[in-house]
Amino acid sequence: MKLNRIGIILIACALAAITLVVALLVVRQQASQAAQVRNKGVGLVKALSTVPMALLADSSGRSGVLAAVLASNDGSDFAYVTIGDATGRTLAEIAGSGSIAPATPLPADAQAGFGERTLPATGGSAPLREFYGPLADASGGKAFVRVGFHQPGFTVLAQDVSFLALLALMMFLVVPVMYVVIKREMAPLAALSQQLRGQLRQLAAPGRPDQAGADDMRELIANMQHYLDQAGARIVQLEEGSLNTTADNRLLQYGSKKLNAALQSLPDGLLMLDPAGDVTFASGKVEPLLGIPMDQILGQPLDAWCCDPALRTLFGRYSGDLRDNARSHKIDFAPQNVEGRQLSATAQPLSGGHGTMSFGTLVVLRDVTREYLARQAGNDFVAHVSHELKSPLNVIGMYAEMLADSDDESMRVESLNVIQDEIERMNALVGNLLNVSKLETGSMSPERNRVRLDDMLRDAYEQALPRAEGKQLRVLLDLPRELEAVAIDKDLFRIALNNLLTNAIKYNRPGGSVTLAARNEDNEIVISVRDTGIGIAPEAQDRIFEKFYRVSEAGAATQRGGHGLGLYLAAQIVELHHGRLVVESEPGVGSTFSVHLKIVSAPAGAAVL
Amino acid sequence: MSARHILLVDDEPHVLRVLRLSLEREGYIVATANDGNAALAAMAQQLPDVLISDIQMDGMDGRTLCPLARATYPDHPFLILVMTSMTALDERAWARELANTEFLEKPLSPRQLVARLSRHFAALA
Repeated sequence: MKLNRIGIILIACALAAITLVVALLVVRQQASQAAQVRNKGVGLVKALSTVPMALLADSSGRSGVLAAVLASNDGSDFAYVTIGDATGRTLAEIAGSGSIAPATPLPADAQAGFGERTLPATGGSAPLREFYGPLADASGGKAFVRVGFHQPGFTVLAQDVSFLALLALMMFLVVPVMYVVIKREMAPLAALSQQLRGQLRQLAAPGRPDQAGADDMRELIANMQHYLDQAGARIVQLEEGSLNTTADNRLLQYGSKKLNAALQSLPDGLLMLDPAGDVTFASGKVEPLLGIPMDQILGQPLDAWCCDPALRTLFGRYSGDLRDNARSHKIDFAPQNVEGRQLSATAQPLSGGHGTMSFGTLVVLRDVTREYLARQAGNDFVAHVSHELKSPLNVIGMYAEMLADSDDESMRVESLNVIQDEIERMNALVGNLLNVSKLETGSMSPERNRVRLDDMLRDAYEQALPRAEGKQLRVLLDLPRELEAVAIDKDLFRIALNNLLTNAIKYNRPGGSVTLAARNEDNEIVISVRDTGIGIAPEAQDRIFEKFYRVSEAGAATQRGGHGLGLYLAAQIVELHHGRLVVESEPGVGSTFSVHLKIVSAPAGAAVL
Repeated sequence: MSARHILLVDDEPHVLRVLRLSLEREGYIVATANDGNAALAAMAQQLPDVLISDIQMDGMDGRTLCPLARATYPDHPFLILVMTSMTALDERAWARELANTEFLEKPLSPRQLVARLSRHFAALA
């Protein structure tokens, strides 16, 4: 009930406010109209007071001047103009329609100057406001002019009715809203207040049983507690809401940052294109991969930064009219701004919601330089090997033809020798290729046994003799009385030794020599193959153990059918035995290749093969 | 008719020897070189009617030698025969722009080469 009272009070206040506003408006309106009338009246009186008496009141009693005043003022609140003498007698007079000039005598001070007064209403007409003053032309004795205006009424308000109605309506709309809001928010407090008031009344009333008072008090406290709980819960609810929102935002930010960090640390470069084909995201790796600064890529038109035609074509597939959103495309290209780099770019349409939404295109840039070089090396290897195999075949074919065509005995012997040499060369190449391949794939595991090298070195020497004799070379064997044992794979080591001897014979000069020697040295055995051949230039010495490396000196390796695998294989085999292969050479004098192998101290009872 | 000059360029001495013997038996005057530089030096001594060159050679290779020989002697109308074991077509593009240049497929038969040269000189006569 209290609440309803508040409501009624509010409505009453609203009504009072409206009344006040209307009253203020009316007062203001009246004041402004009174000021208007006064201006007009005073002005008219002053104007007329300067007019000659003869013009104002002629003998006929009708004045042209006064008629003109009426004509210009009729229709407004103008009432009358009279010219009278000091006794109050009217000399001339003119009045608006429905107005009569009252014959009220002028006050005594009228002679002194201009004045004004209000004449009470007479006979149903509105009160009049009269302005008066003495005439300047006093030829006909003292005379006065009086100008009357109707006092302004309330009629003016009529034109403001619509505005006032609107104002009232707004007030009435605002009030219920305020009422409802206040009632809602204040309800628990109002209930509490009522309770408290009841309690106070009960306390004031004497002689009530304590029990009832205590019960009421308990109820009051319970209610208060309830209210406080409710308010507290509301506050907690609001705080929780705010906290949750903040936490959600933080979580979202964290997730986004984490995702970004993951994208940035990918080993590949990522580019995201919007459906129009502009770059909206680029990970940090893109910059070094393409050699284009990030700020030139992001948000810039493609033509402005992309100088790789292959990449432009790829991007073009995913934008504009030729768009092909369904498939992914992959290209390999060499970026223009980075030297010696090979990249692959894979473009993939980004779609979500089961393909109904398109977010643009994802382009993954990957450095494939290594794969590219490996592929190229593989191709080079195949080209090289096929060339190496075709060359002896070519020679064999030619000599075979010559063998068939020639009757000359020495020519036939030469042909047969060359054919045999070339077959040997091919055989060596194929054998070395197989061994290299096994070594490189790791499928060749040495079977190491403790051996004394004497016999093996003697065998190698025996085998080299006939080949050397064909080239007028001497072969020397220089072995100490006793050689320490080493742990080696005999078959593998024989290949290495053979390759070294083959080279020593091949790159020698007629009348030269090849020396196969071995010696004990501290904890090593050193096996050396020395020739008196053409030697190796210092700059080539570092590279002779590289695969397929051939000394490219005119008249050297190439004319002697080397294929760039012999020394490589020998070095690999020595390394497999944890040894070292060392070269010393002087161009024109000869070369010495030394194999250093660790001496293996014999375990008790171990057999030496 | 005066003897025709042939310049053989290959880094394989056996090839040079066999071809030289085969061509000399037919009455050609044969000069040999083991790379492009030696070939250009030989050309300065005696301009050949036919230049027969390998492609892969250490030193100056055939791909460099042939255009250079053509450019050095633009007024001398000699035939260039390129010996190649590389059958890949893309390895031949460079020679297509050279006038009067043809390929000889390896393995090369001296008999076929002799026949090829006979046809060439017969057409000239």
